[in-house]
Amino acid sequence: MTTAAEASVPAAAPSSGAPVAIDLCGVTKDFPVGLRGLKLRAVDNLSLAVPAGQVFGLLGPNGSGKSTTIKIVLGLLEPTAGTCRVVGVPSAQVESRRNVGYLPEAPYFYRYLSGAELVRFYARVCGVPRQRLDARVREVLDWVGLTGAAARRVGTYSKGMLQRVGLAQALVHDPRLVILDEPTAGVDPAGSAEISSMILRLKSEGRTVLITSHLLAQIEDVCDRIAILDRGRLILEGAVAELVGRRDRQALIVEALPPGELAELRVWLAARGRALESVEQPRARLDEIFLREVARAGDGRKEAGP
Amino acid sequence: MNSMAVPFSFARTSLIAGNTFLEAVRQRLFLFLVLLAVALVAGARFFHEFDFGPDGGVPELKFLFDFGLGALIFFGSTLTITATAQLFFSEIENRTALTLLAKPVWRAEFVFGKFLGAWAVVGVFCALLTGLLAVLLWFRTGAILAANPGAFLHGGRIGLGDIAIVCGLQWLKFGVLAMMTLLVSSFSGTNLFSVVMGFFVLVICHLQAFAHQAYTRVEASSVALGLMIETLARVFPDFQFFNLADKVGTEAGLDAGLALRVAAYALAYILVFGFLAVFSFRRREI
Repeated sequence: MTTAAEASVPAAAPSSGAPVAIDLCGVTKDFPVGLRGLKLRAVDNLSLAVPAGQVFGLLGPNGSGKSTTIKIVLGLLEPTAGTCRVVGVPSAQVESRRNVGYLPEAPYFYRYLSGAELVRFYARVCGVPRQRLDARVREVLDWVGLTGAAARRVGTYSKGMLQRVGLAQALVHDPRLVILDEPTAGVDPAGSAEISSMILRLKSEGRTVLITSHLLAQIEDVCDRIAILDRGRLILEGAVAELVGRRDRQALIVEALPPGELAELRVWLAARGRALESVEQPRARLDEIFLREVARAGDGRKEAGP
Repeated sequence: MNSMAVPFSFARTSLIAGNTFLEAVRQRLFLFLVLLAVALVAGARFFHEFDFGPDGGVPELKFLFDFGLGALIFFGSTLTITATAQLFFSEIENRTALTLLAKPVWRAEFVFGKFLGAWAVVGVFCALLTGLLAVLLWFRTGAILAANPGAFLHGGRIGLGDIAIVCGLQWLKFGVLAMMTLLVSSFSGTNLFSVVMGFFVLVICHLQAFAHQAYTRVEASSVALGLMIETLARVFPDFQFFNLADKVGTEAGLDAGLALRVAAYALAYILVFGFLAVFSFRRREI
């Protein structure tokens, strides 16, 4: 785990010798503001190594430098200082983007193209061989669950479908690194859960995923490691399991105890020098209830027939 | 995928151009300008109130040609500037450029793709109007000959080849104008600024030759003014070179060699402004 005090030191790969998908070293980005030579520092001496094959969450409040960092990784912005390499290639070089698939925040695509035409366009831009083109387009559209809507114009797509077609265009050239900028922004819980499961599938295929999101529960569910930025500086970085887990505490879930037995348990623990810190009723997560009930309603409609 | 070098690709450039073209022809402005220009050219035939004299055939054809060419130049210039700026900024403002440039795409491919797409749109516009003008002149020539078989004994007949060359040179001129608009757009923050600057540049390119001539005739002009006019003459192309319409219908006819030189002049400016646009766009923040 890296803390604020260590953040200015260039970060090494999480485990020595492990392959690194993104390597940011002392990256600083200043934007000129106004005509008097004033500068706004969006990213401040950021050093970060994203291990290959993992899901990495880039977190931070609005204006913390997440999008600027992503643009530097994509070669869309040049850092004022420092270096950025993507799968070993400097991000300023066009070659680095052969290895990267990118889903922008609130994606907007050519509305007059159908989903299949759009993915085909990006596939050709990325140099997918002609003989593989049709099969690859079908493959990724199927992968994101858009086969049924492939012939529809993108202008008629819902928010969730736009994210799916965005993911399809990001994956069409089979990149090793996939960058997802707020992939669940504006998407309903069902769509959000599907995107989470797609992210885990990407990981199981051996791809590296860099994700930004304000839905911290989702980040916790899918990410192996996270980094938190604030005002362009790295304030925390580490494995999710290490950051959220408390090794000195345990939660035991038992059937509801009557007050008398609970008191006995306290006494039993006290006799062994332990304390029962809190007694809570476990709560189901609201998104789980939502997904369960929506699925149940859907099953009901299927049984009722057309 | 490996990290082999990604060379500049004409295939990618043409893909971007094709998409730009598709986007442009779906815009109402294009359709509106086409319809307006077609209506004007076709309407020229019905200006019966003009008196073309006793041997009216030759002046009438010249009038029809000049009127049609005027419509092509006016609406073509408007379409070139507005379409080029709009097609460039729609990619930036809608953030489709973000997705596109996050792919293995050179910025030069993006700039030249946008240019070729916009230029193709203007090309379709020019081809439509040129075809219409040619058909109109062909019909009138036939009608005049039927009424007076000796109408063109002393020349004055407008050949289809001449029409194609004159209109083709206008299209090349629009190419230079499109690339200059793209150069402005590459650093401009708004579509409006690009359009205004595009028209400003158009006026400079049309007038700089007159300003240059006027300066050389007046001995007492200031050194600073002379320097400014000389600079303008070097930096901005002279659009008067493209006006070969006066030669059409004359006995001497169009000089094919001159037309080729003008075409080369246009292509050279397109390339120079193209490289400047790429250089300017290279570090633009998307």
